[in-house]
Amino acid sequence: MDVNANWLSVPIVLPLIGAAVALLVSSRVTPKQTRTQRNIALVTSVTNLFVALFLLWQTAGQDQRVALQIGLWPAPFGITLVADAFSAIMLTLTGLLMLCVMVYAAGTLDEREGLNFYPLLLFLLMGVNGAFVAGDLFNLYVFFEVLLMASFVLLSLGGRPGQVNGGLRYVLLNLMASTIFLAVTGVVYGTLGTLNLAHLAQRMDAAPDSLRVVVAGMLLVAYGSKAGIFPLFFWLPASYHTPHPAVTAIFGGLLTKVGIYALFRMYPLLFPDLLTQWQPLILSIAALTMLVGVFGAMAVNTIRRVLSFHVISQVGYMVMGLGLALSGNQLAAGFGMAAGIFYIVHHMIVKTALLMAGGAAELTVGTGRLKRGYLGGLVKRSPVLAGVFFVAAFSLAGVPPSSGFISKLGLLQVALDAQQWWIAGVSLLVSLLTLMSMIRLWQKGFAGPQEDVVAPLRRPNLRLTVAPIALLVAVSLAIGVFSGPFFEWSSVAARQVLDRQGYISTVAPTDQILPIGEQSH
Amino acid sequence: MAERYLALLDRILTPILFVLAIIFLIVGHNEPGGGFIAGLVVATAFLMQILARGDDFVRKLIGVYLQPTMGVGLVIAIFSAVLSLPEGAFLLGTWWKISLPGAGVLEIGSPTLFDIGVFLVVSAFVTSYLLELSRPARGNRR
Repeated sequence: MDVNANWLSVPIVLPLIGAAVALLVSSRVTPKQTRTQRNIALVTSVTNLFVALFLLWQTAGQDQRVALQIGLWPAPFGITLVADAFSAIMLTLTGLLMLCVMVYAAGTLDEREGLNFYPLLLFLLMGVNGAFVAGDLFNLYVFFEVLLMASFVLLSLGGRPGQVNGGLRYVLLNLMASTIFLAVTGVVYGTLGTLNLAHLAQRMDAAPDSLRVVVAGMLLVAYGSKAGIFPLFFWLPASYHTPHPAVTAIFGGLLTKVGIYALFRMYPLLFPDLLTQWQPLILSIAALTMLVGVFGAMAVNTIRRVLSFHVISQVGYMVMGLGLALSGNQLAAGFGMAAGIFYIVHHMIVKTALLMAGGAAELTVGTGRLKRGYLGGLVKRSPVLAGVFFVAAFSLAGVPPSSGFISKLGLLQVALDAQQWWIAGVSLLVSLLTLMSMIRLWQKGFAGPQEDVVAPLRRPNLRLTVAPIALLVAVSLAIGVFSGPFFEWSSVAARQVLDRQGYISTVAPTDQILPIGEQSH
Repeated sequence: MAERYLALLDRILTPILFVLAIIFLIVGHNEPGGGFIAGLVVATAFLMQILARGDDFVRKLIGVYLQPTMGVGLVIAIFSAVLSLPEGAFLLGTWWKISLPGAGVLEIGSPTLFDIGVFLVVSAFVTSYLLELSRPARGNRR
């Protein structure tokens, strides 16, 4: 069935419309206007989620791709938006997480409420959605910048010294990555004369090896530092614990995954044969990322810092999926990619739930410090919150029957099939250490008695706070229990990501300029 | 903040800058100029007001309108992009011909509309940015 390609513009334009309309009522900062902005944002993100689900059904359900040539300019000359099953899965997850975080923010946000929080979330949604459907390198860069700017403002919203400090590190290190990305975009355009991904995929095969190595390496650095892989993750633990918990939750769930998405998209499309030689490099980066993340989590002592370090170690698992997908064997590549995509799905849901629960605990108690029993006794004080945290934490660690168990099992199986014993061993070890770290959080933060009482500034509205966490935890359990269809969809997505010819023929780049009006559509 | 010469000068320059901005906005369709430049010129006019009369004056004058103006600009720009959806494509240039009695035919296209939106967003955004920047500078001087 053919779908109207203009649907693809909706995930970008809809949040922009929502943000614009929300700005219209922002002349004065009053609680009433904040509520109006919040309602606009909620309506927008619900609609966005439905459109994303529609696209998911069109692509993953029907096993096809959708491409939109904006303004009817033919492919390599105009802006192209492409969605395949992988994009649609990411769009859907983004929509779901954004909706949950908005409800959560409604329950927890305090004095910063007036300062256009919800329109900023919509701008962030626009940037992330745009990055998932961008069909050329430069627009990917533009949407990275959109989300970087929105996230920088969200990070420093409220303007406490710690936040500005974290925000500055975040923006400086990310701008460096963006500069490298822009530089490599220039290199590509200067040498190959195109930025359209499908067109690039055609021309990259004929390019000299030196160029391909340079481009692949620079893209690895650029996307890798966005994703927080091993030597480039410093910005993440420096900044993620400083803003409001809702902001931490959406950042931890979404932003690093945009970098991972770009890696998953570019490498199989542009450098299919070259990267089989790079498999050891990518796998060792994955192993180091996992280990550094999990050891870092043991060394820090506030709940959100611990969880931020776990973001890094989890990114290692996804990179491991990519590394396994880079094998020359077609079947193994498909399984590796599918396991990686499945892991992304699991991680985005569980990580956001966990960060939201940790943030809610922090707000309820008044501090997030694990030492000297500041944070504690939450099992008695709010058992529901403790319950959802428990399930989310054990899903992250990979205890059955959660989604974490299935996704780690998938990766492990692929690694063992490919006879990469050492990476399988590392992933098992890190899994164990993650479980230990989660048990430590549970014992210190929730089960143990609270010894020193700190008065919280404002109690969160527990119903609004726990409901989105419970929803995400339920989704995680559902993925774990009914893993069949979900794994089926990730296999479809993986097949589409690895199928270069299909991508190229969907976008259909042309080398001739047809006068407008003479092209057939 | 007694920038007296500037306060005299800006009475002459501000109208000129506004007219210049509108010229840039209109001319920008076929020649150098456009909504972005015009927005910057308007922001320059407000910058001069900030320097001449202080940021509080400007904030009282236009402060509450800045963010809604950004919103209006965005809505206009999006509207110009969505206009062409009935013809089958997002962001496709669409044109209308309005015949003016005695003055020929005026062609208005969605790119002009888009430019007007950009103009509003840029002028409001840069002005509010300048207003925020002038806040701590005054605090340091005290």
